[in-house]
Amino acid sequence: MCIILCIIFCIILCIIMCIIVITKMCIIMCIVLCIILSMATQELQINESLAHLKTESESLKTKLEEERAKLHDVELHQVAEKVEGLGQFVMKTRRTLKGHGNKVLCMDWCKDKRRIVSSSQDGKVIVWDAFTTNKEHAVTMPCTWVMACAYAPSGCAVACGGLDNKCSVYPLSLDKNENLAAKKKSVAMHTNYLSACSFTNSDMQILTSSGDGTCALWDVESGQLLQSFHGHAADVLCLDLAPSETGNTFVSGGCDKKANVWDMRSGQCIQSFETHESDINSVRYYPSGDAFASGSDDATCRLYDLRADREVAIYSKESIIFGVSSVDFSLSGRLLFGGYNDYTINVWDVLKGTRVSILFGHENRVSTLRVSPDGTAFCTGSWDHTLRVSSSFSFSLFSVISLSPEVLLTHCVFFFFFFLQIWA
Amino acid sequence: MSVKMGSSSTSVIQAQKLVDQLRVEATMERFKISLTATDLVRYCQEHKRSDPLITGIAASSNPFKDKKSCVLL
Repeated sequence: MCIILCIIFCIILCIIMCIIVITKMCIIMCIVLCIILSMATQELQINESLAHLKTESESLKTKLEEERAKLHDVELHQVAEKVEGLGQFVMKTRRTLKGHGNKVLCMDWCKDKRRIVSSSQDGKVIVWDAFTTNKEHAVTMPCTWVMACAYAPSGCAVACGGLDNKCSVYPLSLDKNENLAAKKKSVAMHTNYLSACSFTNSDMQILTSSGDGTCALWDVESGQLLQSFHGHAADVLCLDLAPSETGNTFVSGGCDKKANVWDMRSGQCIQSFETHESDINSVRYYPSGDAFASGSDDATCRLYDLRADREVAIYSKESIIFGVSSVDFSLSGRLLFGGYNDYTINVWDVLKGTRVSILFGHENRVSTLRVSPDGTAFCTGSWDHTLRVSSSFSFSLFSVISLSPEVLLTHCVFFFFFFLQIWA
Repeated sequence: MSVKMGSSSTSVIQAQKLVDQLRVEATMERFKISLTATDLVRYCQEHKRSDPLITGIAASSNPFKDKKSCVLL
């Protein structure tokens, strides 16, 4: 208000002086004062509109919270009480894929359920046959820290990217001697590192997320940007496409602790979830497409229901203090596998919220985890330079990985008698 | 002064975007957790039998089975 009064006073003074003495100085002073006046009023208008928008956004946020709280009539584990428990779980490492010279950062399965592409810190991208552990193709990228890799749905190409800020597509040929690097096609261009990439339902489009805070949809053939998704306030670390039956949406998670659900056609963010306490490292859709899980540096995995628009379960334990680097669901959605930075893999019962198994084996942090397309096995990549393919072991006499004390006791008794026999 | 003006106009644009986003989210139709949770449970139960990691696979059909050779002592 004072500013307005001052301005009015100045104008009046100006006009009086102009009337008394019409000189160049007066005219110049008038013009200068007019400019100051217009800038000041503009500033005032901006402040007013900012304040107005702030109050509106606050009221909308509280309204949203109220709406979401109204739906919270029951917990997921209460609904799942009548579901029978899962019982003892034993997983065994079936294959160890050795060949990377440095930390494995990302991996993806091919739709043929046996091939795997993996990328590592030293710039190498290797395509493996998981059944035989043979390396089928190997490419050396011009950059280090290849943080993202994906297999094309047809199985004829792989996409990868990292610190080079680009996503490159390499067509795979049957000829082993062919130099893959020569056929490379640069598709995506970001202004910061590429954190994740995924082909959509066809080989023709790729979805990427980057450290520059945006996600983007690209046409592979022309390299053209089809749609960009702005909304994250910090690096976007992960993304996952909705299962094909449910339509054109995808979810992304970032360093701003938010998980956003986007419409691929309009580029609009349709839902946003902010309950994690730290960076979200991995997001994965539930097989039905109605929910998604996220894993974060705050050592918890959380399940968000899309139709209820809220978090419905937290998978955490006080003893787990290391962050989750990647999560994936089993085929039915009953199991949630989480790869942790304390070198272990925790398997959670999605419905009851309890841990059913813990797997050891890696000698450094687990950086990536994916369940195979037919659900028979899951593959984990780690900073210990290896990938391990594991599946469930239906009968085990020598399983040491067990949470139940009775089973451990029977094992000890068995060994005791076994050694007694040898010495006797 | 012009720089300050520039930054305050971008913050207005940002605030406007936030309000628009919140308005879009407010118009969304939401369902109670009791309904959506029962759907999640039902999906799990329906697909439980076809989930090899839960039901286990017979050693003969497991593609990742270790090929063990018999050793005669």
